[in-house]
Amino acid sequence: MAQSNSLKASVPSYLKDAQLIKQGAEARVYRGTFLGRSVIIKERFPKLYRHPEVDEKLTRRRTTQEVRSILRCRRAGINAPVVYFVDYTTHCIFLEDIIHSVSVRDHIASEQNPQRLQALADKIGEVLAQMHDEDVIHGDLTTSNMLLITGADQQHIHLVLIDFGLSYISALAEDKGVDLYVLEKAFLSTHPKTETLFERLLKSYTASSKKSLAVIKKLDEVRLRGRKRSMVG
Amino acid sequence: MQLTHDLELFPVYTVTQLLFRDVKNATELRKMAVNGEIKGALINPSMVVDAFQILVAANKAVHLHKIGKMKTRSLYSEIIFNLSPTNNISEAFKRFGISDSDSAVHIVLVHNKEETLNIDDIISKVDGQQIAVDQVSDLTDAAKIKKLYKVAPQEEKCGSLLDAVVCRMATKDVA
Repeated sequence: MAQSNSLKASVPSYLKDAQLIKQGAEARVYRGTFLGRSVIIKERFPKLYRHPEVDEKLTRRRTTQEVRSILRCRRAGINAPVVYFVDYTTHCIFLEDIIHSVSVRDHIASEQNPQRLQALADKIGEVLAQMHDEDVIHGDLTTSNMLLITGADQQHIHLVLIDFGLSYISALAEDKGVDLYVLEKAFLSTHPKTETLFERLLKSYTASSKKSLAVIKKLDEVRLRGRKRSMVG
Repeated sequence: MQLTHDLELFPVYTVTQLLFRDVKNATELRKMAVNGEIKGALINPSMVVDAFQILVAANKAVHLHKIGKMKTRSLYSEIIFNLSPTNNISEAFKRFGISDSDSAVHIVLVHNKEETLNIDDIISKVDGQQIAVDQVSDLTDAAKIKKLYKVAPQEEKCGSLLDAVVCRMATKDVA
């Protein structure tokens, strides 16, 4: 097996033929075929505005945290895409492509039936409670980062959490409270007039989590702290 | 019968898998793998859930080989090591490699796409019956795998045993 320099750059040349789905500030997301399966590849490209050593360390840390959080969630029975391969030289994560799914964001925007929306809110609260009970902080909870598996099975709601790029492990109620606050802000700004729906989500969270009391208390505190809040007191 | 799959990330290479049961010369085969007569990884099929698991291990091995960061000394021992959920190399060989008393063997070959592989030569060395690689699930010892990889029943709510195994293989270095 002859080794040549051109073969060293295997992932980048593979990505050239893959389909770019999204380009964010942090990473590029592609769809491709890997070992016969459809995969999503998340490439954390080098940030030239950062000092190179800092960039390398930070990017590597983000990649490993993402991968660790996904594994931790799956072990607890929380649905997250399976990790197939991680290339630590190019900081690319090869993940399971969740086909036949729609983002919760798109679903809420199109769903008319209030009962189905309530059932969804219940499920989200339940899943987040499970995740926080595992001490996994998602870090970027939005309805775009939750996928709903579409299928004939209307009885059970299958939710998959994605994009664990800003996630970390923490047992602190403060961190969990902030996680929920991020979701609340994203939820209410993306989906107009859904305050009662989010209330229901929090109720479900409280009922499903063993440590919810402290978390909700922190959430209330964080709400008071947020932007454009009077610091009187 | 045998299963051949290209590695998309390494277009020059191809992975061929062969599966045998009722094998009577496991001891000999093991010696042949060690002395290089058989240039392949000899794996215990009871630890294999699906051919995809082997591809994931092989892909990672070829990747690490290319960047000079393998943990073991050869590509084939690296494939066996990648299957294991732990970082202990000798334990990996013990659990995933074949032992003298095994009656089934899963052979994995990684080769250049261009070179014609003499599969018949390898088949002739095995004193056993070749079966289709997708039948490896018949030989899987799910209970043993669940115990070794520490797969709890709750994890099976979000995926198959194959998903659990592959995810651990891919994240072993950081988890």
